[in-house]
Formats: sequence, C-alpha cells, structure tokens
Amino acid sequence: MELTFTEEQAEIRKTIISFAQRELNIDVAERDKAGVFPRGLWNRCAEMRILASLFPEPYGGDGFDFTTTVSIFHALGYACKDSGLVHSLITQVMCGILIHLFASRDQAARLLPDIASGRLIYAQAITEPGSGSDALAMRTTAVKKGDGYLLNGSKTMISNGPIADRVLVFAATDPTKKALGGFSCFLVSTGDAGFSQGKPIEKMGLRTLMNGELFLSDCYVPADALIGREGQGAILFNEVMEWERTLIPACLLGELERVLEETVQYAQEREAFDRPIGNFQAVSHKIANMKMNVELGKLALYHAAALKGSRKHAALETSVAKLFISESLKQACLDAVQIHGGYGYMTEYEVERELRDSIASTIYSGTSEIQANIIARLAGLKPHATTKLS
Amino acid sequence: MTTSDVIRNFITNEILHNPSVIPLGDDESLIESGIIDSLGIMTLLAFVEREFSVEIPGDDLLPENFASISAITALIERQMVR
Repeated sequence: MELTFTEEQAEIRKTIISFAQRELNIDVAERDKAGVFPRGLWNRCAEMRILASLFPEPYGGDGFDFTTTVSIFHALGYACKDSGLVHSLITQVMCGILIHLFASRDQAARLLPDIASGRLIYAQAITEPGSGSDALAMRTTAVKKGDGYLLNGSKTMISNGPIADRVLVFAATDPTKKALGGFSCFLVSTGDAGFSQGKPIEKMGLRTLMNGELFLSDCYVPADALIGREGQGAILFNEVMEWERTLIPACLLGELERVLEETVQYAQEREAFDRPIGNFQAVSHKIANMKMNVELGKLALYHAAALKGSRKHAALETSVAKLFISESLKQACLDAVQIHGGYGYMTEYEVERELRDSIASTIYSGTSEIQANIIARLAGLKPHATTKLS
Repeated sequence: MTTSDVIRNFITNEILHNPSVIPLGDDESLIESGIIDSLGIMTLLAFVEREFSVEIPGDDLLPENFASISAITALIERQMVR
C-alpha cells in the first residue's frame, strides 16, 4: 500500500525527516544514558514549527489539518531516534488540543501561543499513586473557595511534569457524583503557592522524557484556571484521549518503519553459514511480519486521523490504532534484537534502546489491556452492571 | 420513529448495563443510575453524529446534556437547527 500524501504534506514530511536526521540524533545514546531532557533540541523542534502545526494562525499556529499534523509526527517518529523527546513534544501538543477544544476563546488566545512556540512547557496531570488505568478513581480534589478553587492531592509519573511551566490538572470537584460530572480540569502554573514538582523518576526507557510527581497542597487557582466547564472533566478526558491515541501511534508507526529498515539492512549484510541471515526463513518471516504490520498500521492510523480531523468521535478506531501499532512496535523491537543476535543486546546497536522505549508505548495513554477493553465493549460486549436498578 | 425512540433503541441495544430497566422512560436518569458511563457517552456521541449528521461541539459535551433521553434529544435538535 502506498499512502498518498498531498504535495504539501510530502514536502513538509521531507523537511521534517531531513531536519530530524541531521540535528536530533547526535549523541542520542549519551542523552539516553544520562537521562537528560534536551531543551536545546526541543527549541529547535519548536523553531521548525512542529508544535504549531495544528493550531489556528490567530493563536500562533500554522493552521494545518489533523491528518497533516499526524503525517508530521509520523515523519518525526521515523527520523528522530530520541523517542523521549518525541513523546515530550506530543505531550505539549495534546495540552494544546485540550485547550483548543474546550477552553474559552480568551483562555485559548492567552495560552495557545506559548504552546505553539514552545516558549513554555506544558504537562497534563491525571495519573495518581492510587489510580492509573482506573484514572477517574483519582483523589485529588478541587474545592470552591471564594472566586477560585483550592486544589489538594498528588500526581505521579507525569510526562514533562518535572520541567513543566504549566500543568493541566484533573481533580474531583464533586466527589458525591459518579465519574461523569464529578471531575474538572484546571491550569496550574509553576510559582503558584502550594504547587511543587518532584525530581524526574528514573525509567527503563524514554529516558530523555522527564516524568515525575506533582504536589498540590492548598494550591489556590482563580476561577479562570478552570478549563471547560465544572464537571466536564471525564468527557473532556475521553475526548482528548481519542486525539492522543492517534498522535502517539503516528510516531510509533514511524519508529516501526525505522526498525524494519534497520533490520532488513542488518539481515542483508550479516552472514552466517555462508549466506546473508535474511535468507533463512526464521529471519525473513519475522521481517515479513514487521512489514505487514507497517502496512496495516498505516490503514488504522490514517483512518483514525481522518475521523478525528473531521471532528467525529472515534473511540473504537483510535483504540484500534493505539493497540495495534504499539504492540506491533514492541514485537518488532523484540524480533529486531533477536535477529541482531548478541549485537542486538549491546547498547552500541540501537535496537536495544528501541526495545526499551517501545515497552512504554503499550503502557502510557491507556495500557494495551485498557484498549482491548474499549474495543471489546464497542464490539458489543456489555459492561459489568455495577448498579442495581429497581 | 422519533428521535427519542432512535436514542432509546440505541441505548437499550448497545449500551445498557442492566436489561431490567427496559423500557427506558424519556426522563429516566441515565448517569446517576449508571446506565451510561464516560465511555458510554463517547459511544453514544459517535452514534448520534453518524445517525443524525450533526457535530456536537466541545461546549456541549456536558454531563447534563446526556442525563436522560429527553436531554439527548434536545441536544440533537439544537444541533440540527444550527
């Protein structure tokens, strides 16, 4: 299958690939080992307008459609070997999408330019020590006080959390209500009294992405820190997840294509028993699976992108894209390490880092198990009845 | 079939946790009773947009607009006249 990009999309992708291969891959192994966030490269990505693509021009963006934006991140995932940096950029764009979809015009005008330009770093805080996949079991509260809200609680493993200038915090505004109607989203800024950021948590992969804890202790925010309406948090969260489950797989699909290319090249060059190892079916069939998943992944990804771009709701299609592409990438990385043999296990060959990074993709933005639950439900399986009705 | 009937059929056949509530009344509480949850709303939204050729904007993605069949019907009818 050959994807047909418009002339403009193809030109932008070419520019992004050239930029990323030229500038973003220098010292990536050292950065990974040190676990440092490459702020200089983040700024270069911002200068290349990677963060601005989707947002309207009046808000500092470039006003491209969603499919074009997906194609940009698809290209970035392919060409940039620093998956932590890529994830950090997606986190920023996702915060922008949430604000663009749900904030007031005044809020959007005030906040989006700094997101699009990359001047300020944003994070989205949902996960808590006691609630991961069960996101809406969160305990952070926001209680009305005067003209604003008083926030209390803690968040953990928040992408960009330790380095963020602004954080979109989800909190319970009415614990007596069920998840629907009981949660809201607030903008918290570094420097707000009662808000503090923990140090980056060391991780297995995505080591240039900074994840950490956030603490809210009687943190007062004014009324205009509320994003969307009070009680809209759960719906807002689910809607934003659909966009995220399209943008993230775009990068993962690019990575999958890169792993495929690296593995094909190695299988052609490496010889054993007087012939290239790619001539052995035990190797070639693994590569065939990678290629098959790349082609199917393109269909799933751009189908989901087209739906979200036309503002359709697409819980099924986005979960399919996220589950299929992330699991395909993880399997491809495992196979790539196996095909590279002993060299694949050495850090000198990059498939070792790619495998570590790929494992995270089946956990963040909803684990593979959560995606499967959503798909099963949308395939017609009824949820467990938790409420007895008279 | 009225808009309310189309919505009722969809909820009954595709979303309902507990068949014992059939038939669903127009003003029966859908959220407080746990008939639809946050994913149920997204499922319902996709159906509504496809079935009635409307787009529900972010401003209208509010729990109260999905609180009952009457509320959902009113939401759809507001979008159809826009």
